[in-house]
Amino acid sequence: MPKDADINELSTIGSYIDPMWVEHGYGTRFQGFQNLMRRRIRDILIVSSLYDLYLFEEDGRLYELIRNEYQGLRLSHAPELTRVSSGRNAIAIAQEERRFDLIISTLHIEDMSALQLARMVKETGLDIPVVLLANDNRELNELMMHHDTSVFSGIFIWQGDYRLIIGIIKQLEDKMNVEHDTKMVGVQSIILIEDNVRFYSSYLPILYTELLNQSQRLISEGINLSHQYLRMRARPKILLCKTYEEAWGYFERYEEYILGIVSDLDFPRGGEPDAHAGLALLRAVRESHQDIPFLLQSTSTEHEEEIHALGGTLLIKESPTLLHQLRLFMTEYFSFGDFVFRLADGREVGRASDLRSLEQQLRYVPSESIRYHAERNHFSNWLKARTEFWLAHQLRPRKVSDYPTLEHLRQDLIRSLHEYQRLRQRGIITQFSKETFDPESSFARIGSGSLGGKARGLGFVNILLNNYDIRDKIEGILIHVPPAIVLSTEVFDRFLEENELRSFALEEEDDGIITKRFLEAKRFPEDTLGELAAFLDLMKVPLAVRSSSLLEDSQYHPFAGVYETYMIPNNHPDPFVRLGALVNTIKRVYASTFYRAAKDYIKMASYRLEEEKMAVIVQKMVGSQRENRFYPEISGVAKSHNFYPLPPQKSEDGIVSVALGLGKMIVDGGPTVRFCPKYPQHIHQHFSATETLRTSQNEFYALELFSSQSEEGEYEDVTLRRHRLSTAETDGTLHRLGSTYSSENDRLYDGISRSGTRVVTFAPILKHKLFPLPEILELLLDMGRWGMGTQVEIEFAVNLSPVNEGRREFGLLQMRPLVLSKESDSFQLGAYDESRVLCSSPQALGHGVMKDIFDIVVVNKNTFERSATTIVAAEVAGLNEKLVAARKPYILIGVGRWGSLDPWLGIPVKWGNICGARAIVEADFADIDVAPSQGSHFFQNITSFMIGYFSINNRLKNGSLDWGWLLTSPAVEETKYVRHLRFSQPVIVAIQGHNHNGLILKPENDSGRK
Amino acid sequence: MTESMRSLVERLKAKNPAEPEFHQAVAEVFESLELVMERYPEYRAANILERVVEPERVIMFRVPWTDDQGVVHVNRGFRIEMNSAIGPYKGGLRFHPSVNLGILKFLAFEQVFKNSLTTLPMGGGKGGSDFDPKGKSDNEVMRFCQSFMTELARHIGPDTDVPAGDIGVGGREIGYLFGQYKRIRNEFTGVLTGKGLNWGGSLIRPEATGYGSVYFASEMLATRKQTLKDKICLVSGSGNVAQYTVEKILELGGKVVTMSDSSGYIYDEAGIDRKKLDFLMELKNVRRGRIKEYAEEFKNVVYTPLEGRMEFNPLWNHKAHCAFPSATQNEINARDAEHLVKNGVYCVAEGANMPTTLDGVKIFLDAKILYGPGKAANAGGVATSGLEMAQNSMRLPWTREEVDQRLHMIMKGIHKACVETAERFGTPGNYVNGANIAGFLKVADAMMDQGLV
Repeated sequence: MPKDADINELSTIGSYIDPMWVEHGYGTRFQGFQNLMRRRIRDILIVSSLYDLYLFEEDGRLYELIRNEYQGLRLSHAPELTRVSSGRNAIAIAQEERRFDLIISTLHIEDMSALQLARMVKETGLDIPVVLLANDNRELNELMMHHDTSVFSGIFIWQGDYRLIIGIIKQLEDKMNVEHDTKMVGVQSIILIEDNVRFYSSYLPILYTELLNQSQRLISEGINLSHQYLRMRARPKILLCKTYEEAWGYFERYEEYILGIVSDLDFPRGGEPDAHAGLALLRAVRESHQDIPFLLQSTSTEHEEEIHALGGTLLIKESPTLLHQLRLFMTEYFSFGDFVFRLADGREVGRASDLRSLEQQLRYVPSESIRYHAERNHFSNWLKARTEFWLAHQLRPRKVSDYPTLEHLRQDLIRSLHEYQRLRQRGIITQFSKETFDPESSFARIGSGSLGGKARGLGFVNILLNNYDIRDKIEGILIHVPPAIVLSTEVFDRFLEENELRSFALEEEDDGIITKRFLEAKRFPEDTLGELAAFLDLMKVPLAVRSSSLLEDSQYHPFAGVYETYMIPNNHPDPFVRLGALVNTIKRVYASTFYRAAKDYIKMASYRLEEEKMAVIVQKMVGSQRENRFYPEISGVAKSHNFYPLPPQKSEDGIVSVALGLGKMIVDGGPTVRFCPKYPQHIHQHFSATETLRTSQNEFYALELFSSQSEEGEYEDVTLRRHRLSTAETDGTLHRLGSTYSSENDRLYDGISRSGTRVVTFAPILKHKLFPLPEILELLLDMGRWGMGTQVEIEFAVNLSPVNEGRREFGLLQMRPLVLSKESDSFQLGAYDESRVLCSSPQALGHGVMKDIFDIVVVNKNTFERSATTIVAAEVAGLNEKLVAARKPYILIGVGRWGSLDPWLGIPVKWGNICGARAIVEADFADIDVAPSQGSHFFQNITSFMIGYFSINNRLKNGSLDWGWLLTSPAVEETKYVRHLRFSQPVIVAIQGHNHNGLILKPENDSGRK
Repeated sequence: MTESMRSLVERLKAKNPAEPEFHQAVAEVFESLELVMERYPEYRAANILERVVEPERVIMFRVPWTDDQGVVHVNRGFRIEMNSAIGPYKGGLRFHPSVNLGILKFLAFEQVFKNSLTTLPMGGGKGGSDFDPKGKSDNEVMRFCQSFMTELARHIGPDTDVPAGDIGVGGREIGYLFGQYKRIRNEFTGVLTGKGLNWGGSLIRPEATGYGSVYFASEMLATRKQTLKDKICLVSGSGNVAQYTVEKILELGGKVVTMSDSSGYIYDEAGIDRKKLDFLMELKNVRRGRIKEYAEEFKNVVYTPLEGRMEFNPLWNHKAHCAFPSATQNEINARDAEHLVKNGVYCVAEGANMPTTLDGVKIFLDAKILYGPGKAANAGGVATSGLEMAQNSMRLPWTREEVDQRLHMIMKGIHKACVETAERFGTPGNYVNGANIAGFLKVADAMMDQGLV
């Protein structure tokens, strides 16, 4: 595959590439679809007098409306709006924060005119487009008449439709991205020529709403996440022009990719107003392209005949139904609606709404109609409008004359469509039906609503696995998303409505009462019940029932762990009992939507609970039965980004935590083995036998298959039980994961063939390659990172006992975006005055921003002696106790290795002595060079509590620490070696996980920002 | 410290700057030797102190190795051959990024007297490298060990210098080091201790420290014509040392009522018998569970969680005769010491390293109870290295019983040396003084005998 497919090459390479590649952007791998719409407008600065603002909307509403609109259209995240009322403020804030992508100014701002503002923005060298948004037509005309307004990147007029803001944003984004996106996959464009501000200000919102709705419809067809993401990005673009030359320029450049033209009749051409410029453009276009839809708008019907003769459409501007007609035109000519089969005289002979019906109709419509459409490229246009670029490019070069008869053409079309759909079917989430559901591999849905975040993610992964051919990539190992059904949110809604539970659940605060009421609810949607029964008929194995909420796994607010997951043995001989148990479990998941923790979380994440809906995944558990227990040998979580990399690892190499048995051990923060898939033999925690014993797992979780527990009052995980390692040894599951410690030889031996203490080290797999776990994870992380276009986190389980056709099983249980909050990015190392910076380090571990720390515990460098470190440790421990008791998190600053075993090399604290610290600074000694510990002595704690860890080496000029300030600021308490400082303003800690830059800022009132 | 000692320390500092650990260790030893120098003018003439602080030989060498990615690394290797007056240099190897000359000299210096106190013929040394075994693969550790030994091999030998393990050097590293030594020298000798059982290691290694401290305690009791039989004993900790302490106490007829881990302690008034000890060993060694489970398993056991905020450790506040601190440093502070004395405890044998704070020690000494400092009471651990050497030289491994018996004899010897020395220097019953001085005297006398070398 060429790396960067050029436009002109597309049609030729199309003949030998797999459609899946193009469809999902695989063809160009990292430059595919997910790279479309690369440049976005995320932060908008609105400059407006209060009065102007009031005219737009009551204060505060605008943002909400836009956000709702964005959510409704499932656009990625809504732009942030910041408002200021004066031009000076605007420029100051734009210069300082450097984050704005767009300035929207109204006509009236406090200290200058909008025009002055735009010029000043240019003069100060800010590369931010300024758009004028007027609310008074007369005033605007005046301005445009007497002044040169070219300094604005756009002028719009407010007519009460807040979607105009979206139009402005999208229009600018389209301009920025058109070149790249067209080149990349052939995204299409609509040229809009209109010089009248008022008209285009009302067209734009409509055009965009229509475009986005069109994409929306396609999405519901696509029914999976990848289509959804990609199609949104691949929607046609709108190129707004005001002159003939501008429009012609676009036309020439993107000729093949012009979906249609919407033009005024009267607009400037050659620098002069030309009352017939639109007609001229139509003629020029028709010279090379007969089939590009062309809409002309005029105030009169004067040229109607010629326009029709040229295959254009005329709209009368004054028509009261103008906008409606515009919409109709788009649907019909831009192929946004159904494909309408017509004969040459315009008679309709068939209609197709999607690929499948198109294929079907093709079998029956008269061949005349096929000729009519084929000659005009209607098929490829329609496909392109649906972002089926690959197929469109396949079909486009085929000419009617290439085929001996029309029947041949018909058959070829049918065959191409059929083949394409078959390929696309792989890995798609289908509606559940007992006949087609494969209990070994299917992933199906019940109900028509949303699948929720987790299920969507799983569906997406399922597609990736299939399309990447990963399922069978490694011999003898089945890599898959375990078979599952998803109960869509529709079932949830119906359940709540039928039992009238919604308002009760929203108001009730006691989790127990909510669960009780939900379990007691009599009605469960009948049809769903039938489907569940059919499903259970196929699945007589343990099941995991997991929540998949609408808001869960949203890129910005991970709900991981907010809702409950249940496991059921599903092994009762009576199918009714099994169904009853499953339904009860589903009810429990529903109830958990309204639990305290979820309510709090939603509040924190500024969502509304009413917006939240719950889908439920019922999935076959990965594992095997051993006597009364069911569990996988390995459970794990893999992250594509490691916030705490230790050499030779790099952040991007990722990090994995694995444990024997069910994943609860990992979720609960129990002992696990952490390894980097790239360096599976370099296990940090296993550097000595003692350390290995200390940090390794001594129990594991399994599902209890025959539980004597009663149903009543049963809460989470009663069916889970802890077992000793000796049980795993008896079960035969330990020998692939275990090592043996011999106290006589003070040595760890891999495997469990010797006598001694059993230790879960995963050495047989990681060192002796009994199972290619690191390789699989490297592959999946790579795939996930690329597929999601972001860092990802994967949950998985492995069954090492052969299951499917003698293959061992790797089950991918979840993939979600790994949240790398961008907040810390605004804290750049160089951006602050030296006097403001308390500490900076280019080798900080961790990620994120902490703004709730008011306390510092610092070891006094001047009184410190290396011979007194044990006393220092005791003093630190004393302060820690007080601060922990008072629930005051603090920053701990000291010299030498924190937690050193050797008291000469640092302060020999244990984790419990400093457990209240949220950030730790390790500075160098004055006299000797000691390698920084980077927190390795309590690494597990640091990583699981996401503690920030700063290493400073003054001598090597690696980072800085303002000792003077630390030792002179008044202390609340001071012992011989340690000072405790407290401030009224927070001490801000910011770490950028991707480049390990860390910054600690002194409290605000102590010094100014640059 | 006398004036001449002080000026010696000053000269030492000037001569060896940036080695504060070493300076302090020397100063501490000198302080305990004031009386000795007063009584042994010949030491002064022979300038013994100045000779004893200067290593006989310091070897510093380059250790190049490649990691699994093929990147070349260079570490620094050390071997401090401090003193061989009473036997071949003996002392651990430490692999840790913090290793430097000053630290190793300090450790080697202390090792000289520790080894001497065991009564076995072992000189003192220490070595290692600033190599960090953390996050290294087995293969990388092996390649490093081989490179390290390739140079070290020419300096050591069963009759010259016999290194052992220390921080970062466990059974695995000793194995790799031994293999490379054998390959280079083409001889299978006891050049390292801490070897695997089936290729030259000794039995009773995990037990030695615990057993030894009990032997030491029963020797101390014997000075008052008593035995451990029916004595109520408080033991802290539940690791190797504590477990084997309890085992030996049970063997000798005593009754143990407490044990602990970092989360809490149990008080079993009926006493921990063999069956209960077996349960505890399985709990701690195999299942690696919390000691709380002991209280759940057996009746009439009180479990008390230990919290960091406590100003004293309630474990030491029970009626008893003997106490065996076997957990960690500083686990007995002044308050705890008072509690012990008040509760009738008159014999304390330290299995852990420096478990009693300086204030606590003072309280024991003032109360004139039998206080066996760790330096002497836990010397059993060091002694087994000597026993491993002996077996290697004989080419004859001993049975458990034989090793145990030797250990018993050694502890008796150490006790005797302490008692006699303390008495000779006018502080009868003061095992602290006894241990400090006895170790030194043996080395100093040997140096006198062997002339200026």
